[in-house]
Amino acid sequence: MRQVAQETLVAARGLAWRAGGRTILGPLDLDVRGGECLAVVGPNGAGKTTLLRLLTGLAHPASGTLSFGGRPFAKLSRRELARRIAYVPQIRPAHVPLAVEEVVLLGRYPYLSPLQLAPRTADFAAVEDALRRVGILELRGRPVDELSGGERQAVFIAAALAQEAQLLVLDEPTLHLDARHQQQLAALLLRLKDDAARTVVLATHDLNLAALLGDRLLALSGGREMAIGTPAEILHPELLERLFHARFQVVRGGARPLTVLDLAS
Amino acid sequence: MSPANPTRSRSRAALAVLGAVWVAALLTAPLLGSHPVSLAAALRGEPTAAAIFWQLRLPRVLLSLLAGGGLALSGLGFQTLFRNSLAEPYTLGVASGAALGAVVALRFESAAAPLGLSTVALASFTGALAATALVVGLALRRQGVATQTLLLAGVAVSLSCSATILFLQYLADSTQTFRMVRWMMGGLAVVGYREVLWLLPWILGGSAVLLALRWDLNLLLTGEELAASRGVDIGRLRLQVLLATSLMIGSLVAVAGPIGFVGLIVPHIVRRWVGHDHLFLAPACLLGGGAFLTACDAAARLVMAPAELPVGVLTALLGGPFFLWLLILRSRER
Repeated sequence: MRQVAQETLVAARGLAWRAGGRTILGPLDLDVRGGECLAVVGPNGAGKTTLLRLLTGLAHPASGTLSFGGRPFAKLSRRELARRIAYVPQIRPAHVPLAVEEVVLLGRYPYLSPLQLAPRTADFAAVEDALRRVGILELRGRPVDELSGGERQAVFIAAALAQEAQLLVLDEPTLHLDARHQQQLAALLLRLKDDAARTVVLATHDLNLAALLGDRLLALSGGREMAIGTPAEILHPELLERLFHARFQVVRGGARPLTVLDLAS
Repeated sequence: MSPANPTRSRSRAALAVLGAVWVAALLTAPLLGSHPVSLAAALRGEPTAAAIFWQLRLPRVLLSLLAGGGLALSGLGFQTLFRNSLAEPYTLGVASGAALGAVVALRFESAAAPLGLSTVALASFTGALAATALVVGLALRRQGVATQTLLLAGVAVSLSCSATILFLQYLADSTQTFRMVRWMMGGLAVVGYREVLWLLPWILGGSAVLLALRWDLNLLLTGEELAASRGVDIGRLRLQVLLATSLMIGSLVAVAGPIGFVGLIVPHIVRRWVGHDHLFLAPACLLGGGAFLTACDAAARLVMAPAELPVGVLTALLGGPFFLWLLILRSRER
């Protein structure tokens, strides 16, 4: 087990979000601890994306409070939030008419002033560091529109890294990625946590990825917390069946539990 | 975007070329017309040549440089804001709103008071802002702007404004009607330095606002959700861009009438040369739009010489087919 700092980075209290008179999420209490990786799992419509959008400040809670390092979100401007929290959403525009490096440089937005003529050396250094970490330094001059799905995903992750935020929030980061790119992404996220002391929150349908990366798993169902705990605590056939209404086999014995769908009826 | 990036040096080169074209337009366009003038004669101070050059043609060219730049820049602002290459002041009904405002002012102007620039200007300002508010208000959703609704609302507002303008023309006497119709065609014929000086701060101000927002506008190219997650206040940005573009459109429609499609054609062509970084794109639109409208105006003076074609008619003749061509390209991409 890796060492996890126990201070709370993001604290949510009584967090709720409603749309069209229906409660989509909450009420929910949640502490994201500094340096941990929290994986949010749950069926379609459980409120995973809604939770991530609330945690990044993109959506405003209908009720409840959110704070980062003790400071309420409401007291932080959008730019101040963006220096603390970076987001890699699941849905991205089909057409981005910019080069890789230009998109990653835009991750520096919260540090750029409208009056400065060009980005500073520190901005270019952060961009280069992000490109190198994600392993796409050689793609820097390429138009984003010409890249494969996996490469595009890497570009948006690099842009989020260039934001140099303490908390990185990713929505379904491995969706549409082949095995090689999934492995690279998982390795990258582990390195970020261990070497760069970043805190990671991710939502995923892939329970094995959640087990591999997550220090803790949050099982979300109908917008409520069903359970939260270590992978070993959450990945139980009974709990998973209640969560997903599907049967699973959980193989134990390795470092992390391995989950497979049980097709025998 | 580092100095090593070749696209950046290419953007710089394209911008330099556009600057040269702009200067060429400034120097040659005042010499062209039904009565050609040589630069040497104008500078030597030959009475007729100097009068034509300094009093008639130069202010007109300066106005077209400013107005064309403002139109192209407004088009760019709308296109980036709504992520739609067909959005421009003309298609969104903003120019029609401004035209309606101006026509109302022309209709109810009493014959005793000579037409003051400020009355028509104020009215077309109001019209531009009202049309923008109406169209955007109709298309605004919680998750952003519905671009289909935006274009449809633009068409509806345009048609309503046109119908109202026709109605006002029907009510007006023949002198007023003539002035309205002539004004509606858009033209740069009767201007002096006063109009140029009046337009200058609006265009410079609008350009400065859009240039200051270049990071925000670049980020919008990656989508509103990502832009917001990087720290862009989308609601405020939308307001700033709409205000800057509407004020530019309102002010230039007030002096030149509604001139269509410059805001569609110029950004589209310029984007191919300088790329999508608004740091280069905004000045390129300002220069390219100015040079384009100046060239159109010079052509409008020449094709039917000694008679003059209103420049708005010429840009609309070019712009209609261009718009259709863009639509065909887009449908092929799908």
